[in-house]
Amino acid sequence: MAKTYDYLFKLLLIGDSGVGKTSILFRFSEDAFNISFISTIGIDFKIRTIDLDGKKVKLQIWDTAGQERFRTITTAYYRGSMGIMLVYDVTNEKSFENIKNWIRNIEENASADVEKMILGNKCDLDSKRQVSKERGEQLAIEYQIKFVETSAKDSLNVEYAFFTLARDIKAKMEKKQEASNPAPRTGGHQLRANEQQRKPTSWLSRCSLL
Amino acid sequence: MSEVVNKDTVPDEAQKDYVEDGKNKLLVKCKFCGSKILEKKTAKYVAIEKELPLMQQDANRKDGEVQKEMINEYFHVENMYIFENIGFTHPVDNYKYLICADCDAGPVGYYELDSKHSYVALSRIVQS
Ligand SMILES: Nc1nc2c(ncn2[C@@H]2O[C@H](COP(=O)(O)OP(=O)(O)OP(=O)(O)O)[C@@H](O)[C@H]2O)c(=O)[nH]1
Ligand SMILES: [Mg+2]
Ligand SMILES: [Zn+2]
Repeated sequence: MAKTYDYLFKLLLIGDSGVGKTSILFRFSEDAFNISFISTIGIDFKIRTIDLDGKKVKLQIWDTAGQERFRTITTAYYRGSMGIMLVYDVTNEKSFENIKNWIRNIEENASADVEKMILGNKCDLDSKRQVSKERGEQLAIEYQIKFVETSAKDSLNVEYAFFTLARDIKAKMEKKQEASNPAPRTGGHQLRANEQQRKPTSWLSRCSLL
Repeated sequence: MSEVVNKDTVPDEAQKDYVEDGKNKLLVKCKFCGSKILEKKTAKYVAIEKELPLMQQDANRKDGEVQKEMINEYFHVENMYIFENIGFTHPVDNYKYLICADCDAGPVGYYELDSKHSYVALSRIVQS
């Protein structure tokens, strides 16, 4: 069968137990009628199709089990992943400190060119906050990784985060392709212009402005 | 789950206005939120009888009991990457259940671990 998409990216959510990885993948719907049946089984992964600058991109987004610690996660775990969301909980200092350990683990076990992004989740819980937005940004600068605060509960910045990660993976792949067979046309600048226009504005939100 | 090819009740494809060339003529969407599950003509219409857990389980059912119903029309999806938007549960026996990627309603069908094929129940989605 003919391929019906341009790119397929496998993405992984990792981070300490309780930071909200599953909630980012699984909609917060306490009122959902089916919640008892589906939520007792749990979700493995989701496939989402997005349009990135005219290309049809399939995202396969995997949750990871809570009990897994970075000490036990090895190469097999990361196999095939092209993007990793590193999630911490802004109300949990320890989960933030552990981001460094997760990054080290990725460096030791994942493919060297895997794209990463840091998510400071639960930013709706401002009264319980232990990690300021500035510290999140500082960490991101230190590792040269993109960063955004999210709330799985309010569906805040979650979509933005996946679009951003996917766009970065796509850009990296296109750069590689161009390097291996340079095209006569320089499409790169064109694309960048499109990116600016398409950037969703919703991320300029409460959490990000704190 | 039992699986029977039901020859007697295989509907006449010509009479089904949502089947064309044996495939889904229309978009397949979530009943509840409209999330796009399949593009037009990407899945094969099949008449198989297969039980699926109810989307709404009775709160008063016995502990551990799963209420099911027989469904006899599915769209067969050969490769999971054909789906536009879909969620997969953790495996239960030889299956993963399919759910809406946007509102998590489900099961809207099942995925078979052995064959790696997916089946979307016609009665659990809308077409437009
Ligand atoms: N207020 C608030 N609560 C959240 C948010 N995200 C997750 N939670 C809650 O945090 C708890 C843990 O969330 P999970 O999604 O189960 O966390 P997890 O990272 O999957 O945890 P493990 O599976 O153990 O690794 C749950 O009670 C969620 O309801 C959020 O953005 N805001
Ligand atoms: Mg989880
Ligand atoms: Zn839905």
